[in-house]
Amino acid sequence: MKAKYIYILLAGSLLALTLNSCKKGELTTFDKIKIPTANPLAAGNISGFVKGTLLSGKTYTVTADLTVKKGDTLSSQPGAIVMVKNNAQITVQGVLQLIGTKDQPVYFNSDSNKPGTWGGFQCDTAQAITIKWTHVDNTGGPDKSGSARGTLKVKKAINVDIEDSWFTNGQDDLMALGNGAKVTILRNTISSSGSTDGEGINLKTGVTGTVAYNVVFSQAGSGIKLETSSSIPFPQTEVYVYNNTLVSNGWRRGSAEPGRGVSVGVNAIGHIYNNIFVNDYHGIELFDDGDLVHTTYGNNLFYATVDTYADLVDPNLKIDIRSNFYPASGLGKPQPTDLISTKIGNYDPLFVQFDGTVAAPNGFPNTNNFRLQSGSPAFGTGNAKYNQDIGAYTTDGKGNQH
Amino acid sequence: MSIKNYLFILFIFLSSVAAAQTATLKGQIIDGQTKEPLSGAFVHFDGKNGGSVTDAFGHYSISGIAPGTYKLKVKYVGFTEYEGKITFTAGQSAMLNVSLLEKTESLKAVKVYGAANAESEASSRKSEKNADNITNVLSAQAMQRSPDINAANALARVSAITIQRNSGSDEAYAIIRGLEPRYNNTLVNGVKVTSPDPVSRFISLSIVPSDLLERVEVSKTLTPEMEGDAIGGTVNLVFKDAPEYEYFKANGSIGYSAIFFNRKFDDFQQGAVQSKSPTQRFGPNYVATPGYFSRSNLDFTKKNAPPTSLLGFTYGRRFLNNKLGFIIADSYQNQFYGTNSQFNVAEPDIHVSNFQPVISDVANRAYSTQQLNNGLSGHLDYKIDENNKISLDNVFLYTRLAQTRLSIDTSILGGNGGRKGPGTGTVYNDDRSFIQNQYLENLKLNGKHVIIDKHLLFDWSGVYSNAMQQAPDRADLSINHLINPDFTRTVDYYDNITRIWEKSGNKDLSAMANLGYKTGLGDNSSLEIKAGGLYRHSTRYNHQNEYILKAAPTANGGKSAFTDIYSSDFIVYNQTGTDQSDATNYTAYENITAGYGEFKLTVDKLDVVGGVRVEGTEQGYHTNPVVLSIYSDAKKTYTDLLPSLQLKYKLTEKSNLRASYFKSIARPALFELVPTPTFGQSTDVTGNPNVQHTEANNYDLRYELYPEKEEQIFVGAFYKDIKNPIEFALNDSNNGQLNTSPQNFGTAKVAGAEIVYSKYFGNLGVSGNYTYTYSNIKSPKDVPEAGSVDGKPVIKYQSRPLQGQTGDVFNLSLLYKNDKQKAFVQLAYTYTSKTLSLVYPNYGYDYYTQPQSFLALSAEKQVTKHFVLTTKVNNILNTPTTVKINNLIQSKDLYNVSFNLGFRYSL
Repeated sequence: MKAKYIYILLAGSLLALTLNSCKKGELTTFDKIKIPTANPLAAGNISGFVKGTLLSGKTYTVTADLTVKKGDTLSSQPGAIVMVKNNAQITVQGVLQLIGTKDQPVYFNSDSNKPGTWGGFQCDTAQAITIKWTHVDNTGGPDKSGSARGTLKVKKAINVDIEDSWFTNGQDDLMALGNGAKVTILRNTISSSGSTDGEGINLKTGVTGTVAYNVVFSQAGSGIKLETSSSIPFPQTEVYVYNNTLVSNGWRRGSAEPGRGVSVGVNAIGHIYNNIFVNDYHGIELFDDGDLVHTTYGNNLFYATVDTYADLVDPNLKIDIRSNFYPASGLGKPQPTDLISTKIGNYDPLFVQFDGTVAAPNGFPNTNNFRLQSGSPAFGTGNAKYNQDIGAYTTDGKGNQH
Repeated sequence: MSIKNYLFILFIFLSSVAAAQTATLKGQIIDGQTKEPLSGAFVHFDGKNGGSVTDAFGHYSISGIAPGTYKLKVKYVGFTEYEGKITFTAGQSAMLNVSLLEKTESLKAVKVYGAANAESEASSRKSEKNADNITNVLSAQAMQRSPDINAANALARVSAITIQRNSGSDEAYAIIRGLEPRYNNTLVNGVKVTSPDPVSRFISLSIVPSDLLERVEVSKTLTPEMEGDAIGGTVNLVFKDAPEYEYFKANGSIGYSAIFFNRKFDDFQQGAVQSKSPTQRFGPNYVATPGYFSRSNLDFTKKNAPPTSLLGFTYGRRFLNNKLGFIIADSYQNQFYGTNSQFNVAEPDIHVSNFQPVISDVANRAYSTQQLNNGLSGHLDYKIDENNKISLDNVFLYTRLAQTRLSIDTSILGGNGGRKGPGTGTVYNDDRSFIQNQYLENLKLNGKHVIIDKHLLFDWSGVYSNAMQQAPDRADLSINHLINPDFTRTVDYYDNITRIWEKSGNKDLSAMANLGYKTGLGDNSSLEIKAGGLYRHSTRYNHQNEYILKAAPTANGGKSAFTDIYSSDFIVYNQTGTDQSDATNYTAYENITAGYGEFKLTVDKLDVVGGVRVEGTEQGYHTNPVVLSIYSDAKKTYTDLLPSLQLKYKLTEKSNLRASYFKSIARPALFELVPTPTFGQSTDVTGNPNVQHTEANNYDLRYELYPEKEEQIFVGAFYKDIKNPIEFALNDSNNGQLNTSPQNFGTAKVAGAEIVYSKYFGNLGVSGNYTYTYSNIKSPKDVPEAGSVDGKPVIKYQSRPLQGQTGDVFNLSLLYKNDKQKAFVQLAYTYTSKTLSLVYPNYGYDYYTQPQSFLALSAEKQVTKHFVLTTKVNNILNTPTTVKINNLIQSKDLYNVSFNLGFRYSL
């Protein structure tokens, strides 16, 4: 009888051994989706996976979403023209290099020429971004999944260099850069963007770099917004924001969520000098949760062309723009080096041409010239570490070239 | 006194109906050994229709008997049948008490038919004693006596089981031994059931009416014949079988939730919810205009909550010489309940050097829910002969949820509004109407055949299971206003409306077969060898179509004010919806192939059950994202070898010692692999295709003592090492909504001990159990005070308990039983200690659900032979569900007390 049990147990162990050989570890494969090879660019209709150079003087029509794969480059010679149809977007996982010149800019626009009619540059995982002397117009709106699309979106620690370019009549956020991107944003003009929400230059989660000599006019939300991640406080966002001209921003989002010329929040650090703020809903707002210990600011000029402005939906509410240069909801305080207007005519920056816009719709024409007339109080009153003058247009020629 | 009078009048009434010509027979059926009354025994005259089934106290009565001589039979499954001749004269009132003796079961023969009346408490104890593995069984009798209207409530009273409750809904899922639902299996009639819920692999136990259940078996160790994906254990809901006698039971009750003593029920026009999205109706290129979208389902009104009503019946009988039997049960619940909930989002506080969490948003949410459940279960069995049986089980469950969620969210750290001091800042109102229909169909065809008499048994099953969930036009309205630093407020601005048509489904096809051989080896020994296999193909899909309605800008381009839903002027932001590329859309599949070999050896007092199971798994998904990526499609394969060895030693006739080892796994749910977000009430989950399945080695030791029939003492200890448990960690939070992902954090060690005791002292019964579980795992955390190195956060490993694992679980119930008054009263108390609910990203902090104590009272009194009055009061302590990060309250949900009053009628 005993022997019988031993047999059974032996048979059992043998079975276990045999079966043991069929144990397999976990294997996860992603081999079903084949990413097509990229096509070299040719003038005419383009779509799908592409690489190569947009040539000078040629016109390209994007008929469906474009993707630039990792390792590939999409570049442009001066004077190339790109028209986007069917609400398509340009996804960049590789390198984007759009190099125009003052005389021969590169043009990107939709066929319908209306705000929010193409998807812009979705560069979440790109390798490098350089955009110079390029027009990017009428971007934004939802993609096929219903998500709002920023005009230029980056979520990676790469170099982002945007200089001397025009961004006009976009929707949603215009530049939304995060996750440790190193930014050089110089001498650009951002006009009339965001429908009823969207920031001009939205920098989050560990972005470092410089935002200088830019003009932001009539943005729905804030002109320049600095934040670190709300869950991971380090690395911090730390940006030098100087010599920008920020006009008529922050009105379209409504008085419950007013927009600012510049805001600093969520453990970010800003160094805010030599900027001009005119007719912004709020001027500089330093939120309680920003890193205000390390944030520095001064030599900023604040002006309003009207004493009060009637709220867009509640006409009985008269908004005193001057009292919002440093709004009561923030912790920013007027600095001795600031030039703060107390009435119409006091510290008027003397723009060459300004239509006096306070609040205007998305897509409103920007016919202004924010260069300064001689005799402007902005001349010679800047923090010399950045520039001797205040505003985007300076006498030393380093400023905005538009 | 009044009840006595009532009974007296009733008695007179019944006597007069019976008339003087016929006779009456009454009596009690008891267990000859223990003298306990036997409930559910069938008393009838041979060759005649009708008869009587004993009530909860073993009493029966047959009236209208024509004078003459009869052969009386008393049957009770598992007991020897009583047969005796009895003669009645006209008008006679006879009295006959019968004692039955338990049949001794043969260990050496296979059989097709069940051994005992599985519905009774005594047989539950017997199942526990004789089971091959470590089980706890809850009988229908125990469920009927306690304040449980569904399986979730009932299960809370089983040793080492806790029920996980979700905010806003009534109940949810079973946690065995402090291990969260993912480590457990929920079976219906031994078969895995697909889930209509996109998030869970399981059906919510609250949609299974306890009325349909014959018993609930909880197995804490696995034998090779059981499916291997259970680490904590398996819950098997066994539905009622066709009885040998005509069976009819009905119950009804009405109830009310005390939360509506203090506030109204928020209602919306359910008729305004459109079942089809614009593209479903008019094709994929249809450009939706604002006019398409109904408005009155976003017009919320306050009304008095109607009472909850519960109705149920069970009917069964057999035909064709008892060969063919059926039982059908329907349970209908129309419940109105509410939750008052606080939900706070926490972020690192940058003002303190260690960046401890601080509240960034405070949201107060009021849920008003109408939940309609209908469970229809049918069972048909055909007993071909003593050796062959075929049965068909069908379970159909329907649940309809209509829910209003009104939420007020204040940003504490500023958000877009900016804030200075309490009472200021941007305030968001977010109101939602939501209708969800769930359908679950489960069909099982099963055969049992004795191929070689007494020795070889073959059984097979084919299962079709299909679950579907439809949530048409989930409408969400958000508006906001700002309280300025001077406490003036702005008007309400219209922010956004979203409309979502969601549909998901899960379909399973399974086939399984087992072959068992049993033989005697000498006088007290036997051997059983079993082998079998299973194949299951499951598919799941989620489909969503979302439309975003934004405020039409004012003339000068700004956001417009909100006055009421009917006068809002909106534009459709994405006019063709998200039908083609919604981020949440996917299809997924899972194929499981399993085989096992098992032996059971009984040598005198020792039982050894062992063997090995092999499970091969293939999982995969497909998505349609906007940007094509290799992660749009993935496939996962793995094969696990699962050995199991269980020893049971009968120390005495009334005590056992058990020891066991088994290996088991837990698979990620399909949605957890798909890298798209699945939206929840306050937490969204984005899947992770690289998450690994969980493997566990489990060791158990238990001593069992059965001093008397309805009595038991168990003492046990267990140890598990769990490789790659799947836990949720926070990615980020947005607008008061958390986003989490499933992740593996290494290997967890789990150890615990449990003690179970129950005893009756005359009329008083006490039953209690306590489980202590310790678990430990290490996970990487950000250390904010260390700043960053090379542009990256500094990471340190933190020791903590396993997610969803409860340290102490204590259940105590007191039962008072009065045979004379025919009354039961039961008071049930449950305690669970704090439980890690979510991993917080920073070192030193995690989300913990706080300790909870629940108290429930149930009572019933039999007023006539057929009628029992019942009352149930749940959540007497109005216990909040509170989640904290250290001392910071992250969420707090209150449901309040619920009352129920009703009756039960049995034939």
